[in-house]
Amino acid sequence: MNTSSNLHRSGLILDRRRFLGLSALGISAAALSACGGGPSTSGGGTGAGAVEQIDFSGVKPAKEITFWTSNPGDSIKVSTEIVEAFNSSQSDITVKLVTAGADYEEIAQKFQTAQTGGDLPDIINLSDVWWFRYKMNDQIIPLDSLFEALEFETDDYVDSLLGDYLYDDAHWAVPWARSTPLFYYNKEHWKKAGLPDQGPESWEEFDEWKTKLASASGAKFAFQFPALAGYAGWTLQNNLWGWGGGWSKEASFDITCNSSEAVEALSFLKDWVYKDKVAGVAGVDQIQDFAAGVASATVGSTGDLITAITSAKFDVGVAPLPAGPAETEKICPTGGSGVGIPKDISPERQLAAGTFIKFLTEPEQAIKFSEATGYVPIRKSADPATIVKKTPQAQVAIDQLPNTRSQDYARVFLPGGDLEMANHMAAILTENKDVQAEMDSLKTALEKIYTDQVEPLI
Amino acid sequence: MTAVTVKRPRQALSGRRIREWLTFLAFVLPNVALIVVFTYRPLFQNIYYSTLNWTLGSKFATPVGLGNYREFFASGEASKVLTTTAIFTVATVGFTLALGLGVALALNRKLPGAGFAQATVFAPYILSGYGVGLAWLYIFDPNIGALSAILRDIGLNSPEWINSPPWTLTMVIIVYVWKNLGYAAVVYLAGLQAVPAELLEAADLDGAGPVRRFFTVTVPLLSPTTFFLMVTTILSSLQAFDLLIAMDKLGRGSRTLIFDAYLTGFKEQSQAGYSAMLSTVLFAILVVLTLIQLIVVERRVHYR
Repeated sequence: MNTSSNLHRSGLILDRRRFLGLSALGISAAALSACGGGPSTSGGGTGAGAVEQIDFSGVKPAKEITFWTSNPGDSIKVSTEIVEAFNSSQSDITVKLVTAGADYEEIAQKFQTAQTGGDLPDIINLSDVWWFRYKMNDQIIPLDSLFEALEFETDDYVDSLLGDYLYDDAHWAVPWARSTPLFYYNKEHWKKAGLPDQGPESWEEFDEWKTKLASASGAKFAFQFPALAGYAGWTLQNNLWGWGGGWSKEASFDITCNSSEAVEALSFLKDWVYKDKVAGVAGVDQIQDFAAGVASATVGSTGDLITAITSAKFDVGVAPLPAGPAETEKICPTGGSGVGIPKDISPERQLAAGTFIKFLTEPEQAIKFSEATGYVPIRKSADPATIVKKTPQAQVAIDQLPNTRSQDYARVFLPGGDLEMANHMAAILTENKDVQAEMDSLKTALEKIYTDQVEPLI
Repeated sequence: MTAVTVKRPRQALSGRRIREWLTFLAFVLPNVALIVVFTYRPLFQNIYYSTLNWTLGSKFATPVGLGNYREFFASGEASKVLTTTAIFTVATVGFTLALGLGVALALNRKLPGAGFAQATVFAPYILSGYGVGLAWLYIFDPNIGALSAILRDIGLNSPEWINSPPWTLTMVIIVYVWKNLGYAAVVYLAGLQAVPAELLEAADLDGAGPVRRFFTVTVPLLSPTTFFLMVTTILSSLQAFDLLIAMDKLGRGSRTLIFDAYLTGFKEQSQAGYSAMLSTVLFAILVVLTLIQLIVVERRVHYR
């Protein structure tokens, strides 16, 4: 009797096929665990209360530090120039620029895994929807003592932009690649429709224009909603605020996305898609579609300005976001990203990081960065003349800054809140689902995130 | 006396066996240690994480027992995600194998440029899934994509590949099959070239036509290759997410189990405990599937 054959039948010999099957089994479950050490179940979050500022007296800055960026607004070239300018301006600190992701999501993912796997950066580019999570998880430091030690001119930062990072009476980041949404329009289509060369004062005014545009322009859409991932939760705050609603109450975790005002605002937009059939939703990138003439108007970031102007073969018009029936003054959310400093690195590295952040956000660098990317200048004393001379449309973004409002907590402080908003808006705008039912479901989802993931840590 | 004569050979055998065992252990232990540390330790750690309410990156977590499992199976999410996983896996494995065999049959001829054709067919397999996804996304874009331009030229409207969940799943399946087809084709080609010509000639002499020869000689002899491809393609389909994340950012159309685990654990929500639970469920499914393949399917494979 052949023993090998018996063993084979009984499944005891590990041949090539069995090996293939069995070896792959463990892989699927190993992804999270491969990141390194796990959490403690015996403690709690940092909790509310006085924030402990780091004492930098007597600390000497580290000689070499790394700056992780996702190169927002295709900023790798200008960031490299700024880093090189810093490195050659002094001999104490050398900054190494690292592209740590293609977007805010990827850099956040890398930073989260670096918390357990080590190899933390010294400066991290953090987006509006991520910094609070880092603060909550005790992963970044409050910067106020650093501002004091390095004599930052904090009064010179645009108040609303620096104020976005204020929580528990401490600042957790410094504004850098900051943006606001803008209304982009195709001037040729406007002309064909006999419209004045300006954006609409209100969404109701655009409601009157849309049919003229649809019939005169020849474009597929009079208006195209931005690709929903990353944009829906952000730009639609303008519409919700305009109707007197919001994802949540101002400066509060009280979720209000299913209020009658919010439902009315979103139903108004949904009608453009399903009733009037003059609007659609971008699949990949609304600015590319807009530049290709697919839509007469869209909403995009100020960070898209240079791309829109250089890609389009027509004159691009830019206007502030329109007002609504309840909030008749034009108002728009801030957005974009700032820079912060990880907690679990030495005070020497933190001090060196602060020194570079001070340089990075000085008026000269701020203007250079804005000029290259289209992001708004973050310093009051920065002279935007060179930006406006090169790109006159940038004036609109600068003028819009005083009309900005910090974003709803539900979007920026709830982990995954933005994603939930995008998914529910997709159901409304691409699957014709009922607005009230979707907003009720969104409220349930957002409240669960708050209860499970935020409340225990604040 | 009998006891002594029996005992001596046993002692001699035992000494040799100990040496063999030591040699065996010397070869095996380093590999076992690697597997234990890098595969099974994370596996058990993952099962532990699946019992926590833990935000990825947070230093603190709350034990919730089987709460994550209850939430998944009670919420209705399980049926949606498992259905999508089943559709994606069956469609990608089925089309990859069927089309791979078709391409292999076409390439299994002595024609000029056959080597170049084989390389061309195989090339997409070695490309990055994320890169392939991004490139095809611009082809499928219903507004400015190449495919929509072609459809417009023949008077058709492009489906909403990106914003309509069923079309998104279809799009992802098409691109996944395109990317992996070359792998199946090359493996099938090797299998076809190992089919003995004399068997085909004998069948020919017995009056069997090309179709009959294919189904009664070639297909049975290819069954080990088919089995091998089934094991590997099912495993890779169940674990595919790079192409999915590039083409379906919100995961509305193609949220398979592994993609759901990735989106929940590593993207905005960062719910590491819940994500670990999804990975554990996937692990259980893989165990069952692998056992079925080893016990049931392999018995139907014809080895020469």
